[in-house]
Amino acid sequence: MLELRKDIFADERDDNLKEIGKGTQRQDMLGHVTGTSSYFNDHQLQGMLHLKVVRSTEAHARLRLIDTTEAERSAGVRRIIRGSDVPRNLNTLLSLINFGKDDEPSLAVDKVRYKGEPIVAIVADSEREAFEAIAKVKVDYEPLPAVFDVEDALKPGAPVVNETYPRNTFTYHETYDHQKLRFGDADAALATADHVLEQRYQMSPIEHAPTETNGAIAAPDTNGRYVVYTSTQALFFSVDTCAKILDVPSNTFHFIGGTVGGGFGGKVDTLTEPLAILGAMLTGRPVRYVFGREEEMQYGPPRGAERIYVKDGVMRDGRVVARKIRAYFDSGAYTRLSSYAAVKCAAHLPGPYTIPNVYGDVYCVFTNRTPATAMRGFGVTAMDFAIECQMDKLANLVGMDPMEFRILNAYRDGDMKAHRREAKNTALIECVQVAAEKAKWPIRDEFRRASSRKDGGGSRAVIPPTPTDSHARPPAPAQQRTSYDRLPPTVTREPPRDPPPPAPPPSPRPAAPSHGATRFSSVFGTRRR
Amino acid sequence: MAVIVKTFASASEAAGALSSDRGARYLGGGTLVMRALNEGDVSVSTVVRASDQALTRIDASGPRVLLGAGVTFARILAERDLAFLHAPARSIGGPAVRNMGTVGGNLFAPTPYGDFTVALLALEATVAVQGGFGSRDIPIEEFLQARDRQAGTLVLSVSCTRPASSEAFRYRKIARIKPKGGSVITIAAHLPISGGRIAGARIAFGSMAPTQIRARAAERALEGRSLDVGTIAAAASAAGEGTSPADNALGSAWYRREIVGVHLRRLLSGQE
Repeated sequence: MLELRKDIFADERDDNLKEIGKGTQRQDMLGHVTGTSSYFNDHQLQGMLHLKVVRSTEAHARLRLIDTTEAERSAGVRRIIRGSDVPRNLNTLLSLINFGKDDEPSLAVDKVRYKGEPIVAIVADSEREAFEAIAKVKVDYEPLPAVFDVEDALKPGAPVVNETYPRNTFTYHETYDHQKLRFGDADAALATADHVLEQRYQMSPIEHAPTETNGAIAAPDTNGRYVVYTSTQALFFSVDTCAKILDVPSNTFHFIGGTVGGGFGGKVDTLTEPLAILGAMLTGRPVRYVFGREEEMQYGPPRGAERIYVKDGVMRDGRVVARKIRAYFDSGAYTRLSSYAAVKCAAHLPGPYTIPNVYGDVYCVFTNRTPATAMRGFGVTAMDFAIECQMDKLANLVGMDPMEFRILNAYRDGDMKAHRREAKNTALIECVQVAAEKAKWPIRDEFRRASSRKDGGGSRAVIPPTPTDSHARPPAPAQQRTSYDRLPPTVTREPPRDPPPPAPPPSPRPAAPSHGATRFSSVFGTRRR
Repeated sequence: MAVIVKTFASASEAAGALSSDRGARYLGGGTLVMRALNEGDVSVSTVVRASDQALTRIDASGPRVLLGAGVTFARILAERDLAFLHAPARSIGGPAVRNMGTVGGNLFAPTPYGDFTVALLALEATVAVQGGFGSRDIPIEEFLQARDRQAGTLVLSVSCTRPASSEAFRYRKIARIKPKGGSVITIAAHLPISGGRIAGARIAFGSMAPTQIRARAAERALEGRSLDVGTIAAAASAAGEGTSPADNALGSAWYRREIVGVHLRRLLSGQE
């Protein structure tokens, strides 16, 4: 039974609600357990064709030649789709909210940037015939030096993964190569701390491994519209992404989703819908594009791997006085959602603790790996792992109980957070107290009596003097890093046949009403409300 | 071109269909062939099946045990007389895979699969195959060495001698996900004891070479000795000799070479 500590969360819930806290049957449960839930792939349409893609066998290579002559003659092949057939063959997911630059083609044109990148799509009468045609496509690769490590990617002379971001870092506010957090003087505090502990944490990519692989079925409908059955977990996001890539109004599509056979963030990237619809547009027939299991595991986007360095200064009495963090998010070859993950990560520093000196640099880095995407708390989970490991190690270093150590350093109501916002409704102390109690973990009286509502604010609400970074922004590494990149940096090379329109896509957001005050958003920068 | 499925009443007819068609693949339980087809393996154009009862026969009553190629791991686990093979059978996949996966198919399972075959190799099993020119018996080691060239033949059965005691045959699969992950290393050891000394030691490894292999250096270290700490240590230190493991997602070649002796020592000294 869910227990709500009303003494702590008095204002958090209306007690007259009738659902929360009670056992309620999920509305889709009966369908799932009786096997009657309908998934996108349960739609067998008359005359349905099957789409499969030729995937890059190289992590980083220039495409010298894509020869499909033999594949075109292969039995059952209805249409071969190349990058030049895609109306707007360059997109980034968050362009729908004007965040980031278009950097990812639906089908690679002159270069592949990760192993498994789609190059050509084949629409055939059966999956088998599509596979047979794929075996007949000849791709001539000119391998380019690849980079797989986030820190190597930032070194001068590293191969340029994605020409949209020639420094291998996402660009924030059209200027910055990372997210920066400065609060107090972390270096000075580290110099005077009793102990300093610096650790490196390396995460791995994690596959969502949904039972149902990514896929979509698109079919021509009346009045020039298309009906799309899809596994997407973000239906309207996918509608708008398809409308952009296919350069048609979004009301061209009737998307039908709903039952997702496992998402967890792995079904927001809209990887199958645009090509399935394009296949239907080009053939006039229903087209199905479903990832195989190996495609899903190998080339479906994973949770990105993060590398995190944490350097903490702690005093003998257990107070953490400085926390300095460098984090590198491995976005893979394209942005997808890692740019946003880095923003979330920076916003999360230094964890739920009041630390007077905090320093954070968070980078979203491009490498020749599978593009990473959203997954369950992405941006925060890895950092929390690092921070909480660090808290245990610090407690051990000063000889304190780890629970008491957290209570000592926990933020309290009225404290100033590193983002210069006052901490409200804090409850870490109470959470730790309850966890200790439930685990029968003994903590001393003074820690049992601690409260998030007491002893916060005051000197803890002060914004400390914060030195500005003296060093200039690192200069952009030379553009000419690989033989392939020996072109004037002003030339747009991606894609040559189909350059993206210079104007940004029409924002689906209406202009925000102006309230006269400026507000800073870590995604949009400074804006007037 | 659509995939053609051919079903025959007798194993010999199925074998004939296999040997006459380069694109033909025999479908046992389908845990390998259907996966390949679903993932777009266009080298398979014909699927051959046989409904021959002989392929699902189990003869476990005597000292010589015979398993039809179509016998599933679930059936082995249901057979009390095959207790010595329960550990390797149980180490394969989940219940769904064990319900479908067969002894014959396992002989062709590439690394990191093929665990049951590791047990059969340590037991010096004999593989009965039917080719275009009739049937013959092949020692399992020879069969595995020529596995890639066995495409045109059909495995009918495997047979081996029952170990003298439960102590004489040991099996251990090291996996990341228990109990059904792919193998990091699989080890089987057949150690017949005669007069207090090991006579005819057979150690087999999975995932330590392109196919399942015998660990001959470790066998030599054990042969003619009693299974004591010194002998086990000698076998463990010789475990990596002659192996050629590869890197895969489950472990690197280096890691496999480092740990193979550790796990062999644990297996031989009866540690969990």
